[in-house]
Amino acid sequence: MRQTYGKQLPGMRLTDLPGKLIVIEGTDGAGRTTQIDLLKPWLEELGHAVLDTGMTRSRLAGEGIRRAKEHNNLGRVTQSLFYATDFIDRLEKEIVPALRAGFIVLTDRYIYSLMARAMVRGMDAAWIRSIYSVALRPDAVFYLRIGIDQLLPRVVFSRGFDYWESGMDLFPGQDIYEGFCNYQAALLEEFDRLAAEYKFEIVDASADANAIGAQLQKKILEIIEPARREPRSSMPSKFSVESFADQVMAKLTQSAKTEGGHFSPLLPPETREGLGMEPRRTNGNGFGPKV
Amino acid sequence: MGITSSIQIGPYEISYPLKPSVSSVQRYGQHKLPGRLFVVEGIDGSGKSTQLSLLHKSLDAKGYGVVFSEWNSSPLVKDTTKLGKKKKLLTPATFSLIHATDFADRTEHSILPFLKAGAIVLCDRYIYTAFARDVARGMDGEWVRDLYGFAVKPTAVFYFRVPLETAISRLVGARDGFKYYEAGLDLGLTGDAEDSFRLFQGRILEEYDKMIPEFGLTVIDATMPVEAQQSQVRRMVQEHLESAKELRIQP
Repeated sequence: MRQTYGKQLPGMRLTDLPGKLIVIEGTDGAGRTTQIDLLKPWLEELGHAVLDTGMTRSRLAGEGIRRAKEHNNLGRVTQSLFYATDFIDRLEKEIVPALRAGFIVLTDRYIYSLMARAMVRGMDAAWIRSIYSVALRPDAVFYLRIGIDQLLPRVVFSRGFDYWESGMDLFPGQDIYEGFCNYQAALLEEFDRLAAEYKFEIVDASADANAIGAQLQKKILEIIEPARREPRSSMPSKFSVESFADQVMAKLTQSAKTEGGHFSPLLPPETREGLGMEPRRTNGNGFGPKV
Repeated sequence: MGITSSIQIGPYEISYPLKPSVSSVQRYGQHKLPGRLFVVEGIDGSGKSTQLSLLHKSLDAKGYGVVFSEWNSSPLVKDTTKLGKKKKLLTPATFSLIHATDFADRTEHSILPFLKAGAIVLCDRYIYTAFARDVARGMDGEWVRDLYGFAVKPTAVFYFRVPLETAISRLVGARDGFKYYEAGLDLGLTGDAEDSFRLFQGRILEEYDKMIPEFGLTVIDATMPVEAQQSQVRRMVQEHLESAKELRIQP
């Protein structure tokens, strides 16, 4: 039976949740999304159904949070609770149903980011812990840990500073660079505390994305396929997926030819997608169009 | 690997963590504020809103600076609540959380700053409404109480206590039927709106009764004439105001 962090929500049955809940945590710019975009197709290739979810993606509160953040009047308690609403909506409507159906749930951030952000904003630790006591304990938390000195160039030379990622609601008097350093430093401190308390698997996120990916794959295999210890290949990437698909296509074409008929792709689109024949419906990982 | 303690980018050097100077959020009962907070509570049809509006008028007439805040009225959160109710997306947990979010926004923008400024704040429904409703929906009582731990403790809470049948007879005809969530139809207790309202509000009344000693609610017999209730309320409010030395008076 699955465990929560203490309290149980009404109507949430904790038995018969055979799926796995895998959390990727880390501060802004640590490379969480990149890793999830690498992990999802890899897991699907291995035959696992995957749900990926992340903050502000709930049907109920995602849009409301985005709208509220466009203005500068979103208070810190309100912000914490708005995010909690978003999280619980996804927990009840996405995560638990997926776990019940045997999916691997890859979540981009979990309660820990939300707790860290709230505590940096002066929220009482006992208060925020109590709210998230209804969350499911995950099967693993991978914390992509990166120092500010490694983080800064990534931010400066890609998307630039963001108002909220720089904690400008906290430090309105500072410029956005100082705000970013202070805010991210405070978050890192909070994360280190949480890492010890919740036994995160710490991953050095300053390394190359593919190297991190290989590490994560190895650890995830230990969770999802305890019998098989070694990954099939150290880094099954886009290319290995495609070469597998090519082999299948070649076989199909060949058999169609030898039987004298003409080949038509009779496989349903889901199977074709699973075999890598169709563009994957994932978000911006470079493997397929954004949907 | 490790988080270093200083960085050098261009001409700037910064050492961190520079401790952010963020004040911590105070909890229920910890606030020491010059203003005064009065709250009315009770089920739909108890007459509490009428009583609060009469109190508001008398305080205005005396020249106090008075601010009014109503349950579920945050402009920042209302679209989300509306979406949740309209599309029936809300579970007991998200119902609870979205109302807490609404309340947090009003606390941060409409209640706390005015109490700091020495105003009288009047609230139609407060955290006790959430405690009663959410627990009636199956939420854990302790969890919901923790959730609202940031609320300012009111100067006084007037609980307008009324038998269920009296409330129902006031509501029938006075409104266009019983609303989905207010009648607890989301719980699927029964398909009939009035029956569901009766069952759900019955549970809520039980929860209010438990809170009378827990939070020291002042019980007003809401079956009394409107005027009799109002004079009780005004007398008690006046007693609280006599000890309040830092209240703002209207210019």
